[in-house]
Order: sequence, then C-alpha cells, then structure tokens
Amino acid sequence: MKNIFLILFVGLFISVNGQTETPAPKQTKKIILLNGIAHLGNGKVIKNSAISIIDGKFDIIADAAVIKIDFKQFDTVIDVRGKHIYPGIIAPNSTLGLTEIDAVRATRDYSEVGQFKPHVRSVIAYNTESKVTTTIRSNGILMGQITPRSGVISGTSSIVQFDAWNWEDAVVKEDDGLHLNWTSMYNRWGGEKNKNYEKSVAQLNGFFADALAYSKLEEHKEKNLRFEAMRGVFNGVKTLYIHANYIKELTEAINFSKKYNVKKTVIVGGYDSWMITDMLKENNIAVILKRVHSLPQRQEDDVYLPYKLPHMLFDAEVLFCLENAGDMEAMGTRNLPFYAGTAAAYGLDKEEALSLITLNTAKILGIDDFCGSIETGKDATLFISTGDALDMKTNDVIAAFIQGRMLNLNNFQKQLYDKYSGKYEH
Amino acid sequence: MKNVFLLITMFFCGFINAQETFDVNGTHNKNHNYYAFTNATVFVDYQTKIENATLLIKDGKVEAVGTKINIPKNVVRYNLDGKFIYPSFIDLYSDYGMPEVKKSKTPHYGPQFENKNKQAINWNQAIKPEVEAGKLFTVNDKKADELRKLGFGTVLTHHHDGLMRGTSTFVTLGNEKANLVMLQDNVASHLSFNKGTSTQDYPGSLMGMIALLRQTYYDVDWLFNNTKIDEYNISLNTIVDNWKLPQIFEANDKLNIMRADKIGDEFETQYIFKGKGDEYQRISEIKATEGKLIVPLNFPKAYDVEDPYDALKVNYSIVKHWELAPFNLGIIAENEIDFAITASDLKDKKVFLKNLAKAIKSGLSEESALKALTYNPANFINQYDKVGSLEKGKLANFIIASDNLFAKKTKIYENWIQGKQYVVEDYNVIDAVGNYSLNIAGKTYDLKVKGEPKKLSGNINIINGKDTNKVKVDVKVERQLVSLSFNPSDDYQKGTIRLSGTISSNGGIWDGNGQLPSGEWVKWSAIKGKDDEKKEDKTDEKTDSLIIPKIQYPNMAYGYFDSIPKAETIIIQGSTVWTNEAEGVLQNTDVLLQNGKITAIGKNLSAEGARIIDGKGKHLSAGIIDEHSHIAISRGVNECTQAVTAEVSIADVVNSDDINIYRQLAGGVTASQLLHGSCNPIGGQSALIKLRWGAAPEQMKINDSTSFIKFALGENVKQSNWGEFNTQRFPQTRMGVEQVYYDAFIRAQEYQKKWNAFAALPEKMRASSLAPRIDLEMETLNEILNKQRFISCHSYQQGEINMLMHVGDSMGFTVNTFTHILEGYKVADKMKEHGAGGSTFSDWWAYKYEVNDAIPYNGAIMHKQGVLTAFNSDDAEMGRRLNQEAAKAVKYGGVSEEEALKFVTLNPAKLLHLDHRMGSIKVGKDADVVLWSDNPLSIYAICEKTIIDGVVYFDLDKDADQQKANSKEKARIIEKMIVAKKGGAKTQPAKSKKQKLYHCDTVGE
Repeated sequence: MKNIFLILFVGLFISVNGQTETPAPKQTKKIILLNGIAHLGNGKVIKNSAISIIDGKFDIIADAAVIKIDFKQFDTVIDVRGKHIYPGIIAPNSTLGLTEIDAVRATRDYSEVGQFKPHVRSVIAYNTESKVTTTIRSNGILMGQITPRSGVISGTSSIVQFDAWNWEDAVVKEDDGLHLNWTSMYNRWGGEKNKNYEKSVAQLNGFFADALAYSKLEEHKEKNLRFEAMRGVFNGVKTLYIHANYIKELTEAINFSKKYNVKKTVIVGGYDSWMITDMLKENNIAVILKRVHSLPQRQEDDVYLPYKLPHMLFDAEVLFCLENAGDMEAMGTRNLPFYAGTAAAYGLDKEEALSLITLNTAKILGIDDFCGSIETGKDATLFISTGDALDMKTNDVIAAFIQGRMLNLNNFQKQLYDKYSGKYEH
Repeated sequence: MKNVFLLITMFFCGFINAQETFDVNGTHNKNHNYYAFTNATVFVDYQTKIENATLLIKDGKVEAVGTKINIPKNVVRYNLDGKFIYPSFIDLYSDYGMPEVKKSKTPHYGPQFENKNKQAINWNQAIKPEVEAGKLFTVNDKKADELRKLGFGTVLTHHHDGLMRGTSTFVTLGNEKANLVMLQDNVASHLSFNKGTSTQDYPGSLMGMIALLRQTYYDVDWLFNNTKIDEYNISLNTIVDNWKLPQIFEANDKLNIMRADKIGDEFETQYIFKGKGDEYQRISEIKATEGKLIVPLNFPKAYDVEDPYDALKVNYSIVKHWELAPFNLGIIAENEIDFAITASDLKDKKVFLKNLAKAIKSGLSEESALKALTYNPANFINQYDKVGSLEKGKLANFIIASDNLFAKKTKIYENWIQGKQYVVEDYNVIDAVGNYSLNIAGKTYDLKVKGEPKKLSGNINIINGKDTNKVKVDVKVERQLVSLSFNPSDDYQKGTIRLSGTISSNGGIWDGNGQLPSGEWVKWSAIKGKDDEKKEDKTDEKTDSLIIPKIQYPNMAYGYFDSIPKAETIIIQGSTVWTNEAEGVLQNTDVLLQNGKITAIGKNLSAEGARIIDGKGKHLSAGIIDEHSHIAISRGVNECTQAVTAEVSIADVVNSDDINIYRQLAGGVTASQLLHGSCNPIGGQSALIKLRWGAAPEQMKINDSTSFIKFALGENVKQSNWGEFNTQRFPQTRMGVEQVYYDAFIRAQEYQKKWNAFAALPEKMRASSLAPRIDLEMETLNEILNKQRFISCHSYQQGEINMLMHVGDSMGFTVNTFTHILEGYKVADKMKEHGAGGSTFSDWWAYKYEVNDAIPYNGAIMHKQGVLTAFNSDDAEMGRRLNQEAAKAVKYGGVSEEEALKFVTLNPAKLLHLDHRMGSIKVGKDADVVLWSDNPLSIYAICEKTIIDGVVYFDLDKDADQQKANSKEKARIIEKMIVAKKGGAKTQPAKSKKQKLYHCDTVGE
C-alpha cells in the first residue's frame, strides 16, 4: 500500500547535489516522512515513525505502525526506513556568519571597539552567504545564536536559521540577549590576581545602575543608545548571558544578576558550574556549557572532566545545553553533534544527550515554543542521517529541512570534492 | 703578599693589607699584631671540631689553631668562652659588585639579525665569553654587609648576562679597596640558558640557545685547530684561553641540568650546574651527569589557601614542590652528589639561615651543610688553598657564633674577613634580663626586665591594698650605661621617676642618680636577684623519625608514586582485535604481551604468570601515533628568527613534565613526533617519543628511530599574519621560499664538496691547510641529502607543494611527508609519483586564507590515490581523540573503518619509519596497544588501557584511584600550609601560571 506513493529517497537527493546552495522557497507541498527512527529531541524516540510537515510546521508525529494515514492528502511521501530523524541542531553562542577566514581581518566582524556596547547588534553583520555555514548545515546544525565577542558587554545576539537570502530572512529571534563577559579574577597567563578586577566590577555596577535608572523613564529628551539597548534586560525581553567559568566569578555573576533583578540570566562557559548546581537551580539559571572537547583547566582535574560535565549537570537537574566557542569556533561548529556524542559516551543516555543540542538549547534561548524538538505545531526544522548523527563514524546527513523547506545540502567543500574526484577519474 | 703596609681601621681592630702600589696620605700605620680567640669550639674545617681551642691570626691569615698554642706577647685576646668559630661561608653564584643587568627599554620594531655591538667579537649578542667580572668589579658594602650577616666571607661573582657570560672573579666581602678584596680573577667560566640583555632575535627558543652553544663550541674547535683563519674573534679566542677553568652552567631547572650536561658531554666538558632547588625530582638522572651542583636555598612561600576556591588556583605540582623543596639538599647529599649552597636566588637574603635550618630539619646533616658552604665551594673553583677551612696560612675568614651554628637560636656575632672584624651582633652586650631589687633613695621596688638587648622592657608590681598594678618601666641599656623611667602612681610618687647610671662589669649591680617628678636628685641602685626558672623549650620538633613526603614521577598530578610501572606479561583475552595486518579485524581473540613485545595472537593463549585482562566485548587496537604533535616541549616550539634553522632540535627540549602526556595516554596515544613549528622554510629537527609518562626525557625518546626535520610553506613562513613589523625577514612571498630552499641545498652541497676535497688531501697537506668549519645547519641539510634525515613539511596550497617536490627532485631528496597538506587532494597524483606521504587534519579549515580550499575529504582522496595518508593533531586537545578524527575519514569520503583506523596508527608509523616496530598488532612488534570499550572509531569508545612496551601506562580503573590519591595528597599539604601560616610563615596569594599550549605557529617561549 505504501509502495504506491513511495519516492525513492536516494534518487531525490542525488538530483539536488551539484547545484548551488540557493535558499529553498517556502514550503507549499505537503510532505510525510515514513518509517524513520525519529529522535524527537525531548528524550523520546519513535522507532518507526510517521512525521508530516505542512506549511513549515510539524503536523502528525506518530508511530507509523499504529496510525492510519491517508496518503492522498500528501504531495510527497518519503520512505526513510532505517534512517534517523532529528530536530535541527542549534548552535548557541556562535560567530558563524560573523567571520569567514579567521586570519583575514577584513572577514572578521565579531569584535567591536569598546567595553560596554549593548547596542551593538550581531544580526546585521550576519553573512548569509558564508561558505562556512553551508558546511555546518551538512552535519545537521540548522540554527544558531549569532553572538558578538570582546569587551565587558560584547553586544546583542540574535538567533537565525541557516537558509536565507539575507539576515532579515534568517532571523528567528532578533536581539534575544545581551552578552556580558565577566571580568577574570586572575590574569590569563601569569595566574596572579587581576589588579583591575574590583575596578572593572565597579564600572560594571555603575553601568548597570545607570541603565536601570534610565529604563524607568520611557522617553528621554536625549537618547542614550547603550542604555536603550539595556532596557530589555530589565523588563525580561532580553536574556542576560554571562560568560564565566571560575567558581568565584560564577557566584559573583549570579549575585550581580540578582542585584539588578535581571529577569532571565544564563551562564555561558560554566566550567565550574557543577560545584554550584543548587545555586543555579534556586535562581533559575541555565548553563550553556563550554566546548565538551576541551582540555581540563587544572592539572589535577579528571582528565575527562570536560567530557563528564554534561552528565554531572544532568544528574544535578540543571537546565543546560552545549556550545562550541573557542579556537576555530565557526568552522568547528559542525562538530557540535559529536560533543553530544561524547556526553553520551560519558554517562548520558543518547536521547538526553541529543536534547543538549536541540530542545534544551531552544529552551535556554527562549525559542522552544516553536522549535527545538519534533513536536506537532513546531517549525519543521529537522535533518535525516543514515546513521547515528552523534557519532562521526555514522553521521551522514542526507536531507535537512528548515521550517519545512528542504535544503540544498551541497557546499563549497563538496563541490571541490566532486571537482577533484573527477580529476582522477580520467 | 710579604712586606705589605698595614693599616688599622678606626673602629675595628684587625689587619688589612694596604696596597703597596698606592700612595699613603699621612702616616703609615703598620700593624703586625697577633689576635687570639681563646676558649672557643673551633671548626677548623667542616669535619674537624676542636673544643676549648685557640685560633691565632696575624696579617689577615690564620697563624695557628688548636688547644696548645703559644700565644705571642703582641696579641689582642678575645675570650670566646662557650662560643663557636667556623670558617666563613663561600657563595659561588653571586653577582656581588657587578653592574646591574639592564635590558634596553627602547622598543625595537622588526627583527635584529646582527649583534648591535660592532667590536671584533662574536656574531651573537648573547655570546659574551670575553666579559671579565674582574674588570667590572667594585666593592659595594651595603650588599656585602647583607651577605656577611649570613656568614659569607667570600663570593665568586660574575655578570649574569647572556648565554656565555665570561669569567668570574673571586672576592672577599671585606669593605676595602677592590684591589684588596679581590683574591683572583678569571676563576671560572659561566654559561646559562638565558639570553639576558641581548636584543638580537636569534636564538628565540631554548633549542636555539642549545644549538648556538654547540655551534660556538665547534667554532672554537675550528679556531683552535687552524692557524690560517682570517677572522679575528676575541670571543672565541677567550673561550680557548679559558677552556681549562671550571665551567659553571646556570641550568636553573632539573631538566636543563640534563640538557646542559648533554652539551658538555659532546665537547668533553663537565659543567658545574647551578640548579633551582628541584633536583630531587630527577635525582638519579642528575647524579648520572656526574656534575657538581650549586643549589639555592629558596623555598617557595606557602600559599593563601584557606579559601578552597582560591586553592583551586594553585596547581598540584606547585603544592607538591612547596612541601618537598626543603628536602632537596638532604636528598642530594644522600645521593652523594657534591654540592655547594648559594644564597643567590633569595630575594630576601634574611631567610637564608632559617631555610638552612629547615633543610637540616628535613634531612641534611650539619656536616654536609657546612661542607656545602665551605669545603665544596672552595674546592669546586680550586681555591681551597685560600679559604674553606682555618688551617695555617689560609685567610682569616671566620664566623663567631653563639652556639652550634645550626641550632635553633644560634646567633652569628661576628664575621671576620681577611682578619678584619665585622660585627653582626655585639656579644659583649650585658644581659640585662632578670629580676632586680630597685632602691630609690630608700624606697624599694621589685623590677623585672625582659626582652632582647636592644628591645628591653620592664615592669614593677605596685601593691595597692588588694589590687596589684603592673607598671611599665622603660629600660634602655647601651654598653654599660643604663636608664630607667616609670610612673609608679603610688604613695611614693605620682609622676615619672627618671634614673640613669652604670652597670657593674658582671652585670649584678646598677647604680647612679635620678630625678623625681619634683626635680629632686636622688641616688638609686638595683641589685640583680635570682633568675626565673627557665621553662624547657618544648617547641623543638622531633627529627629522629624523618619522613620524606612521596615524590611523584613526574612530581605533579597523575605522576606515579614511588616508581614507574614496569613491563608485565599480559594476555588480553577475547577482544575484537584490529590487527592492521592482512588478518584484518579478528573477533574474540587473545593477544599475549611479553617482554615489551607482542608475542602471540590467537585463541586460548596462556603464559606463565600472565596478568589476564578481560577483553570480551571490547576492542584492541595498535597504539595511536601522532605524526604532528607539539606537547611535551620546553620553552618554545619555533626558532623563528632565521629562515633556515636546521641546527636546532626539539630532541634537545623534550619536557617530561607536561600533563598532556598523561591526558593523551588517556586517549590511546602511544607515540608522537614532536615537531618544530612552522615559522620558517627549514625549521628544526624533531623528537620521536613514546609517551612513557613518568620517565625522564631521554627515556621517552625512541632510540632507534630515523631522524626527521620540519620544513614549512605558506603563510607562517611568509609571516603573513605577524603584523606590520615583521616584513623584513626573507622570504615574504612564496617566490622567496623556493629560493631559500635552493640556496640552502646548494650551499649544503658545496659544503660537502669542500669537506670531501679536504678529506682527499694528502695528510701532510691537510695538516697545513685550513680545514672547513663545521656548520651544524649544513651538516643537517646534508643528512637530508644523504637520506639519513627525512622531511615532514607543513604545507597547504598545491603550488608550493609542487614547488618543493621539484626542489627535491632536482636536488636529490624526497619529501617524506607533507604534513597538514590540506590541498593534498589536488596533487595526490604528483605526491604519489614523488613518493611523499600526507599527514593531514581531518576537517580543519577557514582559519586562514591559505586553508580556504581545505576539505574534509582530503584524506579520503589522497588515500584513494595511493598516497600514504595519516591524520594528525597539531593540538594538545585533539591529540587525545585522534581515533575520532580517524572516524571522520569514514564520514567524509567513505574510507573503510579498517583503513581509517590506520590513518592514526599504521600509516603514521610508516611515515615515521617506525612500522617495523609499531602501528599494527603483529607478533614481534612493540607491545603498544590500546583497549577500547567500543569500536575505536566510535565516539562512544572509551580508552580503558594504554600499554606501551608492555607497560600499562594508563588504566581507567587506576586513574580513578589516582585522582582520589591526588586530591587527598593536595588536601593534606594544604592543611600543612595553613598550619605553617598560622605558625607565622610568610605566604603568597594563590596563583599558578597557565601552561602554554603550542601549535605550529606559536612564536616565543
């Protein structure tokens, strides 16, 4: 019965390869994916699933063996038997699209001049044409929180999806949050106490106090762009992302956010966050955990500590997700699923690990009402892999959809692969 | 020194020989009196103690010492009843009297290729053997006084600047004209691994310094053996002249001692090493150098660690060293290494004696301590005929101490230098402490005096009915004068009574006149009564049961306690074995490891005494080999300062104390090529190591390995991303890079021809003609041409890759490996034809312009085209999950799992010419294997055991125990620090330096 409408999966995608990565048009046809192993992102798996996508949203999410489906109402029926379906992975705290070639200054747009620059907005610098982003999509990462760097307040981030003509099209949530780099208490290399720490914290307090006072009036004769950009932190429109790792900095940062009555605070980095899980929960603070594939920060730390942190935070019931900031962060974003894989190798269930790069991320970024998992009514942002996507050995993304639009997964690197494979065939 | 003019100083008695050549203003003042120090306990030398002895000196020299000394009539006597005399100490590592070493503060932009000093000296600004401390020396009494107070009488001083620092001068710490305190100049030659004030770029790394020292020695050798050299080089001539002097090398770290010793061995020189105080961490290797040591007494201060969050900032190794540092000298002595003690590294010189006492409490014998301060230093520099003991004819340099010098409350009273007295603390001061009956014009009080001679205080109890008031009395004693003042506020007086008078010579009676508040003069006296009974000093800690805290190998977190694990006979039973051989992947198979080798692969294996490791459900692979690593390197991965630095070698700077060795073991890595960085077209030589955690650097090296060298192409070589000031070093374009290679290899060929022609000369002619100079750079390049050394070339873009292969083809060498080789996929056919392998990144790109075309399919394409392909890390983090990187070859390009695993095992072994020993699980190969919980290519695979040469270096189960042991150990020592702090020890804020991780493009140390 099903065979009648079956479109051979392989054939569908071969035709796409070789084309340029033009953004896909709005979904008009009704699609149903059948028989795939659906990892919903919320911890659940449907081993033999039926997932329909209508008008860019998930509709039916069901067990194909149980549900009765009227195939006539679908334009496209795709059999993905034995293949794995995942919600699109989300890369928080990312510089994708803000940098193209790290060493070439002209291509770097993530670091503005100054210490306090909440008004600086990443989204307008987000380059939808980045060749890097297309390679990231090919591994199932379909959305990102584009985040500026440097200074005490580096600026305002926005959340985008990775298939767009320009940044206006790409925006999923504009100006979602403000990024505060908590001043280090210790100098980076020498390791001695940072003499400017207190001064820096005092300046920060001064800035927040002024911004809070300013926010009490709706209209000012003379506008202060910095303070205007801070309003959202106090009225709950923007999340305050505080980047910190050392336990004392973390506790100071949390106390700071309480002092100014910040509605929503998230810790980014959080290497020591496992030591203060109660404090995090009491204050309803989530963590965007630093790169799992990194070295321990202290000589005597468990050699696998960065691998084990997800399990430790999970057991403590802290809301957290995974990120990729650090060296070569933009191009390395494509390894995000493997960080979840490592989290699974070191104690987490694979579905729990998947949540760390999908639903949890959406929750922390405040977009889980419309994305982050495969659930009816949410954006149909998903990808299909022939094998376990969290393992590099088997991650093989053959199709991806953003808001129901099927992406062209070709990229610059695949093109070079084809070109030079061709060279040797003659 | 006969017939000298003598002079008596105004304030001190004693002799100082005046300078005969100098004019005297006024009356000459000759003094040939004797000075006798009687009734003392005299240490004639470090092991000869004479009780109740007399020391007789005259003309600044020892005349006699013993119990039956005839004392001449013209003598000044000092009764030292109960006191001790020791020879004054000698410090071999001083900069006393030297001009300050000042680094130029003017910023300099861009490179400096040549020596700024344009004299007829060495080309390199850090090589300054011609400097003579004797010519720079001036007396500095303030500094001398600091050292005299510690007991030092003579120092060997030199200018602490540069790699070769010239000669030192041996001087006393007397406050006289320089001519009189200098005993001998050009006493020893001094070297270091510190460029000092040199502003010249080369050498920019430790390995560069080592290469420069070696090249300098070769140049000296050449100069010494050839008369027909046109170049006149004062520096090199001086080295020749001073060759026989003691050579003192400031190594300043245990590993550097071994490094310096290797240089010494090569040139038949045995250095005396100035250490850092961490010698205990590698004591057997240090003993094996046969070098004598000069060891500082600088023990680190405890850290402020009461706050456990602060304590997180102090690294384990720092905590360990804090506890062990005081044991260092005892351990050195125990190992029968000759050593001298120096005060040189102490910022606060006052802690010297305290630290010495601490060292003695921590296992150093008093005799060894005294030997290390007298006999040994004198002997090391051949000055024992002058100083170091108090035998007749030696300098009258001695200390007078209140008691045994190493006892807790002993004071140094005087330090006599060249027969001249320097008072540290006056022992003639009358001890005024005691109980007195004070009588003021008939009114009596009981006075109690406490404190130290210069800090006395007193009190009187005034009884007023039932109350007793303690009234403070100000007491001041100067020589035999005494004054008191106090206000009793009693029936007698209601104002301050002020008394002044003298003390009788035995201290028993004070008397004089005083003024009452009314101004009336009165007579007063005080008579000393019975002392309070002395409480026994219970604070002395027991020293009989000395326990040395455990040293770890290496002495840091995860270091092995006591000893390094040994090779075992092991059977890994029933695992899935990835052989990397024709057999492929074998299911449910046993592997037997014996004597460090793989001896059997099969079913149901058994061997006597074998440890059985259950491998069921697990996977066994060959150890991972990282073709491109920069871990375990000290002080710089790049010698960037010249375009060609083939003379430098990472093998000289392997660092066994890098925690990343252990972390990589935990990721299944067993061997690595430690490569020079990529900042010049011809970089330095590599070190091939096995990750034998706990071993010293030499033991980590793979001994029969072929030699390798790093070449590099592209942006790093062109200094493209180095900023605006680095635009002068040739080459700045890819065009220039080609010419650097041709120039280097053509010079190398010509060099070889020169040597060949020289060797072909008849012997007679050879002796009379100028031999070519050994040039380490050219020697290394010829090793490449002679196929004794192989190239691993950092490379990205196809054009330059092809260029180097053309250079190789035309000059007669093959590029063994293109490393990184991110555009290898474009030229795989040509690489194959040339015979080059490719060691690439799995998926790196976009970090600079030249990697714009890098694709993760690179490995797969090269492999498919028959290029020997490997994946490498170039990164301490990625190095520990290379198995996962290999899996990316499956993902990107569809390489089979078996072949992909070879990318990080067998293939790098082949690239490194180690495949006869490593890279596969095959009978006869080294027992370097890894047991994984899962398919080794899977993200879910956890490394459970890493075995090298049959030694289990990483064991997941033991790792957990080790972690617990470490955290217990740290907590124990932290407790000790807190106790020390509460006991008054000085502390410092919590901190530790962050370890720098090297990559190809890391510049500087």
